[in-house]
Amino acid sequence: MVIAVLWPGFLVAGVATVLVFTLIDPVEVMECMGWSGLDRLGLYSIGFFFFWVLSSGSSAATCYFQKPCGAVNRKPAARS
Amino acid sequence: MSTKDSRPHIKAVDDPSDAAAQVFYQKREKIYVREVHGLFALLRVAAVVVLLGLYYGLPWLQWDGRQALLFDLPARKFYIFDLVLWPQDFFYLAVLLIIAALSLFFFTALAGRLWCGYACPQTVWTEIFMWIERKIEGDRPKQMKLDKLPWNREKVLKKGGKHLAWLALAGWTGFTFVGYFTPIIELGDRLLAFELGPWETFWIIFYGFATYGNAGWMREQVCLYMCPYARFQSAMFDDNTLIISYDENRGEPRGSRKKGADPDTLGLGDCIDCTMCVQVCPTGIDIRDGLQYECIGCAACIDVCDDVMDRMGYPKGLIRYTTEKALQGESTRVLRPRVLIYAALLLVVSAGLVYSISQRTPLELDIIRDRTGLYRETSQGLVENVYTLKIVNMDEEAHVYRLSVEGLEGLEVNNVETDIRVPGGEVYTLPMSLAVDPVVLDQASNTVYFTLQAVDDPSIVVVQKGRFVGPVGP
Repeated sequence: MVIAVLWPGFLVAGVATVLVFTLIDPVEVMECMGWSGLDRLGLYSIGFFFFWVLSSGSSAATCYFQKPCGAVNRKPAARS
Repeated sequence: MSTKDSRPHIKAVDDPSDAAAQVFYQKREKIYVREVHGLFALLRVAAVVVLLGLYYGLPWLQWDGRQALLFDLPARKFYIFDLVLWPQDFFYLAVLLIIAALSLFFFTALAGRLWCGYACPQTVWTEIFMWIERKIEGDRPKQMKLDKLPWNREKVLKKGGKHLAWLALAGWTGFTFVGYFTPIIELGDRLLAFELGPWETFWIIFYGFATYGNAGWMREQVCLYMCPYARFQSAMFDDNTLIISYDENRGEPRGSRKKGADPDTLGLGDCIDCTMCVQVCPTGIDIRDGLQYECIGCAACIDVCDDVMDRMGYPKGLIRYTTEKALQGESTRVLRPRVLIYAALLLVVSAGLVYSISQRTPLELDIIRDRTGLYRETSQGLVENVYTLKIVNMDEEAHVYRLSVEGLEGLEVNNVETDIRVPGGEVYTLPMSLAVDPVVLDQASNTVYFTLQAVDDPSIVVVQKGRFVGPVGP
């Protein structure tokens, strides 16, 4: 299950990183915000992990909601 | 010897509720793959040597005093031999991806999973990792025996040696990977001096660890559970696609026999049920069960079965590259609409890419209007608009450019030097303004054309549309 969540997240995060950082230069964004201290490689890496967390969150939500509604109503298992 | 136990248990399901019961990822039971020799094994080794040679070798290639292939992320520039791509050239990357996808469709329709069997990095690195494993632990029977042994000196040495060798190769792979993004020679110097940056260190370890895990431990699990292509490749198959198949008509009923025995009198087919095809299969399937999702098309079973057929004195090809049509005794059509359409699309898109790269102008002009006001009036009664121009010289050499602006009568171009010199690969910011007599303005928003041309090479020219705002016409 962990792999089923992290792996699609990894794939999507890779695509998102390429697309977003092609259009946006993170160093310029940092300058606008008045922050500094990180080079592009660091910003790209942080961006990638940020996207990975987000997209894995989406995968995890899919897994979570995949549980049939009926299962929520299920009676607790009788103790033996 | 039972060989079926090591197979992953993926059954076809028709009922979705059954599908839900199947796990997304099953813990791996190790598949011991027997070494195989033959034509297709040779092709696979050749593919491994060429592809890994390219991967490990290319970053070291120098070109015009710089790395020939460098995806310089920190500087936002991609160097591909003579070509230097900027983020603005993202279009080419997109087209390249389309070409890659079309090629995959084309080759899959033609001959099945050629990519998986011979060229996929997962296959290629698994091959080399299995080669290391065989060199240290021996072939399949020796590996199985070693795993059953208690932990003694020999086992510790062999297992430890194998993992050390794997880790060394994986580390080198990670280093090479990062070497595509930062100049590899300097990276090597910094590595030897223990002066690597934190992110470089991180990505070397990350990529190295991924290689070690994928090629050493997970292997066919990656193809079965993680690969997106493996899931949909069958959609590109048809009856005329070349697949690896067991000739059931010829092989069945299978059964063991003595060498030289006549199968006809025994009532047997050509398959001697030696299970060699299962033992050499990297995904641990039995090809005799028919075409399966797990089959990566590596053709190891063809090689080993041909060898067995030779030894039995039977004709080769009990397992062979064939098509569904051929197996049913019909003729195969290689040139069919699906293949022709893929091929035509591939040709058109590739030709378009080559043409557009050859016509690419290494110059970019961005026009940013001043945000503080739409326009202002000068003391001479002219309407003035202020702009900031960004001139990107995407060439490696310096160029001198001249700017002209047209579109309105009597347009004055201010604050612009006649010769704008921009060094190679740099961005030049030029604040400037345009002024015009308001009588020529018949609307509030007017289109003007900025033309920037290199003095030394008139073929380098860009024309950009800009907006000139003034009061509503007289």
